[in-house]
Amino acid sequence: MGAPRKLATSLLTAVVRFAPETSREWATGMLRELEFVDGDWAALFWALGSTAAVFQHVASGWRGWFKARSNNKEARMNNFGKKALGVGTGIVSAAMLALCAFAVLRLVGFLFPAMDLAHAQWTHWLTVIVIPETIFIVATVLLWRKKGPVAAGILVFAIVGALHVAIHVAMR
Amino acid sequence: MKLRLSRQTLSVLEIFLEHAEEWKYGYDLSRSTGLKSGTLYPILMRLAERKLLETSWIAGEPGKPPRHMYRFTPDGLRFARQHAMSATTGHLGLAALNRIKAWVTG
Repeated sequence: MGAPRKLATSLLTAVVRFAPETSREWATGMLRELEFVDGDWAALFWALGSTAAVFQHVASGWRGWFKARSNNKEARMNNFGKKALGVGTGIVSAAMLALCAFAVLRLVGFLFPAMDLAHAQWTHWLTVIVIPETIFIVATVLLWRKKGPVAAGILVFAIVGALHVAIHVAMR
Repeated sequence: MKLRLSRQTLSVLEIFLEHAEEWKYGYDLSRSTGLKSGTLYPILMRLAERKLLETSWIAGEPGKPPRHMYRFTPDGLRFARQHAMSATTGHLGLAALNRIKAWVTG
């Protein structure tokens, strides 16, 4: 056995030893074929080409792995984005409802000045706090299972609104 | 994995189609197609990953270790036969090539 063939055998033996499981069968097949290659230099070129082929196979496996990993990351990001959008929708919806309640109160006071709503404390409590907070809680309970993020957004606004009122009352 | 239908891939398919039922080994394919091992094996690997080829260890001469052999799977054979390969020109017609591309890229 000439030196080039010995080198070829050593090279492919090392490739078989260090190749990952997915490529080892192929590398072993290439090593077996080496025995049938005519000529020492042809054997060396066979081994070099085979080594390149195994590296290519391993690299393509890694590329697939990285691609799958980055796709998973993207999917997670998309999922997070959807949830954030849901929470945002809930907060905005609740804010709009609170704003509408406040606007209705002001409108009634403007249209019916005789009612003197500006000085009737109970109307404030009822229209700006009790009714909207009740609606928020009912909406949260109803939406919790089907649209969890939206329900969470409504709940967040309800809690913040309640805290705001509590602080306002405490300060006065 | 997408299968590139290069001229070399087509020549390998053509060799397999000649005696489709027979098992073939790497060095034989290399000599028949004139492809070096660094070109031939990536093609064989891609074909095997696409389930167009099956591989097996088959004992040849007594006292020698088994060799890694390849042949068409039923799917691969059906696929190759469906698309008539030109024996004279050694490559597929354009329409057949497009059908193969559409089939392979799924």
